[in-house]
Amino acid sequence: MHRLTFIRRGMTRRPVRSALLITSIAIAFFIYLVLTSFERGFLGGEVESERLVVSNKIGDALTLPISYSDKILALPGIASATYMARSRATYRTPSNFLGLTAVEPDSFPAFIGDEYDISAETLARFRQTRNGVIVGRSIATQEGWVVGQKITLNTSSFFRADGSSDFEFEIAGILDGRKSADTHFVMARYDYINSERGVDRDTVSNFGVLPRSGAHADDVIKAVDTLFANSAYQTRTRTEAEFMRDFIAQFADIATIVRLVVGVAFVTILMIVANTMVFAIRERTKEIGLLKVLGFSRRFILGNVLAETFSLFAAGLALAVCLAYAAIILLREPLHTVVPDMSLAPATVLQAIGLSAVLAAATAVIPAYGAMRVPPHAALREK
Amino acid sequence: MDGILISNVRKDYRLGRNTVTIFSDLTMTIAPGDFVAIVGPSGSGKSTLLNLIGGIDRPDQGEIDFEHARLSRMSESALARWRAANVGFVFQFYNLMPMLTAEQNVELPLLLTSLSARQRRERVETLLSMLGLADRRRHLPSELSGGQQQRVGIARALASDPKLLLCDEPTGDLDRESADEVLTMLRILNTELGKTIVMVTHDDAAARSARRQLRLDKGKFIEAEAA
Repeated sequence: MHRLTFIRRGMTRRPVRSALLITSIAIAFFIYLVLTSFERGFLGGEVESERLVVSNKIGDALTLPISYSDKILALPGIASATYMARSRATYRTPSNFLGLTAVEPDSFPAFIGDEYDISAETLARFRQTRNGVIVGRSIATQEGWVVGQKITLNTSSFFRADGSSDFEFEIAGILDGRKSADTHFVMARYDYINSERGVDRDTVSNFGVLPRSGAHADDVIKAVDTLFANSAYQTRTRTEAEFMRDFIAQFADIATIVRLVVGVAFVTILMIVANTMVFAIRERTKEIGLLKVLGFSRRFILGNVLAETFSLFAAGLALAVCLAYAAIILLREPLHTVVPDMSLAPATVLQAIGLSAVLAAATAVIPAYGAMRVPPHAALREK
Repeated sequence: MDGILISNVRKDYRLGRNTVTIFSDLTMTIAPGDFVAIVGPSGSGKSTLLNLIGGIDRPDQGEIDFEHARLSRMSESALARWRAANVGFVFQFYNLMPMLTAEQNVELPLLLTSLSARQRRERVETLLSMLGLADRRRHLPSELSGGQQQRVGIARALASDPKLLLCDEPTGDLDRESADEVLTMLRILNTELGKTIVMVTHDDAAARSARRQLRLDKGKFIEAEAA
């Protein structure tokens, strides 16, 4: 008999209880893995971090003057810059929301990089049509839009002098996303929106900045913000990933929600597992006493108890990884527009392994230590 | 001296705020190869004395020596090693590991030795054959009768070839026939293999199997008739 046989026999002595424990642990880690993957995907794990976004320092809802564009471009270390004005819009019904971004037709393609596939024909038509829009594949499919169709969007931030906020557009082309990028938005021309609106004219929501190859992003961020430090509109420059996180945080603190759900699930399940482990080890007090009588060291006995607990957690975690992997594949398509890049990252699995080790130790050490302290002659008197 | 020397031993138990003295100034010797039965009323301290001799409990006063080794001065880990090498325990309720087979239970103490897996297996087979359990070696304790379980317990006690066997009511849970088998086994171990045996019992027939009977009453020993 090998020591591992002894440990395995201990684990399988009550197969139903062990199976339920493994299932409980698997459920906890399944929730952890799926929600963490959701969080990573939702917060834009794959967003290109070298792209920088310049916003008003006071808040993302406030604007910056378009005149900053030339000053930013003149800074050293900057390859290109563009600007955009963002608004929420509705189509046909007040609850049918979509994102509307007014962009500068010549400079914006460099900023969106290779995340989107825009044909040369679409770009040319967009540049030729003053009220042209490029629509994402997702929204185009949803609404049944085709190239050349005229659509009217009601915007929440772009207002004409008479107070109206309806804008008529002509669809210049449809854009496809690569790497499952979100395509539930519409891009209009900034010059058209700017000339039509009566308030906030010549202002933008953000500037997009691409640092020159070899330039350090931190240096560029510092240079931009220092440039406007003493102006009426101070800036806050962030990587695009940071910007997206802050943007989403305006609507919901996804990270906190995820951590809360994971935390509640973990605490509940850990209490069940810990209680069961305490009971299981308490049940074995007599056997632990016998092992001591036979001459086994405390270290051997403690090692066995820990090994059993770690094995239960390892089995639960392995099951959770398999289930989470399958679930994420199944969820990827339905959640495509909300979480464009949901996947089970190796880093998430590694975090789960570390967490399971900590939880296994926390669950086993205290009851095992308690059992260790019972004198063998007293342990043998246990029923 | 060789054997077991118990000198002026005192043992107290705390029950709440009260301290109960089980025995005080207890002195006795057990020669190597002896077979001693300790009898006495419940609560007289028979099992406590067995625990002290086996090094799983410590006296509050006095000394216990086994072949010149002073148990009361050993650390917990040294006592554990000493028990593994020198003492085999046989219990009233067998105390077998329920999830291990008969052969695995017998092999358990051998995990503490330097024997190879093959050597361990050979020794287990020899012991189980000697005790008439060769055909039961793959059975779990729950699949064995009380007498068979006690024989597995004896095989486990003998596995590491200890000099001393401590038996706590070894026939207390057995029918007469099984009890007689176990007692016969213990006599053989004493006479043929020279094991020193100290047995605590309520059973008069079991006590008569021993070479020597000692009655423990009110903290004192009274030597009864020899077998």
